[in-house]
Amino acid sequence: MRRYTYLWLMQLVSGVLIAVLLGIHMVIQHLEDILRFLGFNLNNPASWNSMIERSRQVTWAGIYIALLAVLLYHALNGLRNVILELTPSARTERVVTWAILAFGIVVFIWASYVPIALLSR
Amino acid sequence: MGNGKTEQITFRIQRYDPEKGTKPHSQEFIVPSTKGMTVLDGLIYIKENLDSTIAFRTSCRMAICGSCGMLVNNYPHLACHTQIEEFHSSRLTIKPLPNFPIIKDLVVDLMPFFEVHKSIKPYILRGDSEEMEDPTSEFSQSHQAMESFLQFTYCIKCGICVSACPTSASDKLFHGPQALAQCYRYCADDRDAGEPERFPVVSTDHGVWHCHLAGACSESCPKGVDPALAIQLLKRRLASRTLGLGKKKPPASTMPPPQQNKPKLPFPDFTVKQG
Repeated sequence: MRRYTYLWLMQLVSGVLIAVLLGIHMVIQHLEDILRFLGFNLNNPASWNSMIERSRQVTWAGIYIALLAVLLYHALNGLRNVILELTPSARTERVVTWAILAFGIVVFIWASYVPIALLSR
Repeated sequence: MGNGKTEQITFRIQRYDPEKGTKPHSQEFIVPSTKGMTVLDGLIYIKENLDSTIAFRTSCRMAICGSCGMLVNNYPHLACHTQIEEFHSSRLTIKPLPNFPIIKDLVVDLMPFFEVHKSIKPYILRGDSEEMEDPTSEFSQSHQAMESFLQFTYCIKCGICVSACPTSASDKLFHGPQALAQCYRYCADDRDAGEPERFPVVSTDHGVWHCHLAGACSESCPKGVDPALAIQLLKRRLASRTLGLGKKKPPASTMPPPQQNKPKLPFPDFTVKQG
């Protein structure tokens, strides 16, 4: 019983975190002029050099890995819910849950390799 | 019947008789309608004058029993509570409530609906079982406490909310807005201590967590119950209990009934000779 409550709560929390972390990412990438007006000079954050410089900072690597984690959870849990609504059965639930979990773990490991590898460059 | 001009309204009704092996099909009837006539009045006219084989449920005629729920022009209504005039159309299409198996014509099988309702234990649950079995006192519930859940008690179990719910349409195992709202009604009632028994029933993938707040249930409810609100409050209560947040209040205490201080009225003399 508690499992389903926690899954739902995590869907809520991950949604909020996506708004925050993705918001930071979007502001950095696309609102440079506004940030410069407010006194934050980021030196063309969308450029390769700026991206590499950011990726060497643990904070930014942490932000991107956290964003990856909450995005994966939110999207895949949402997909799981949609599938289970349309095909409700205990067997389907087990198969879909394990398949999505495995897919999510593989993608998370594979995609978080990038910021981790860049940290050590 | 109301006074005024009579208008000829076409009732296009879905007919289906599984015993005859036919598929669902439509049949049209012309009903003379006057101001103030309800859809139910039209159906009764059809049954009494045009086709006595048409099957539909009706009882109170006053939107309190919940028997006559049906789809009128693609929206669920109580037929007794719906004026023909409000559609501003000379043609009404009437079908049985969706999301329920059809028994015959406009009559649907509500047994699964009632079974789900029963599964959430829709009655006061308390620890003092002796007092519940053989009551000697009254519950001490304030007016404010009653007001906090009163609107959810107006449910007449008509099934209209379940027929409007898009999640009920896609997920046949979903409990439905009616049962979930009634679960909240009893959990919010401070006379009740049944959360530990009810929460495992509704806190499942096909229970409260599959509600996506479409709101169709509240929009369609003929009694203003607002089941969507009840479900969101139930989610909040479930999440709070799981996280250990918020103070859990003990159930309302009992108190002895008030003393009879007034003298009893004298028993009137018999008007008919006894013995």
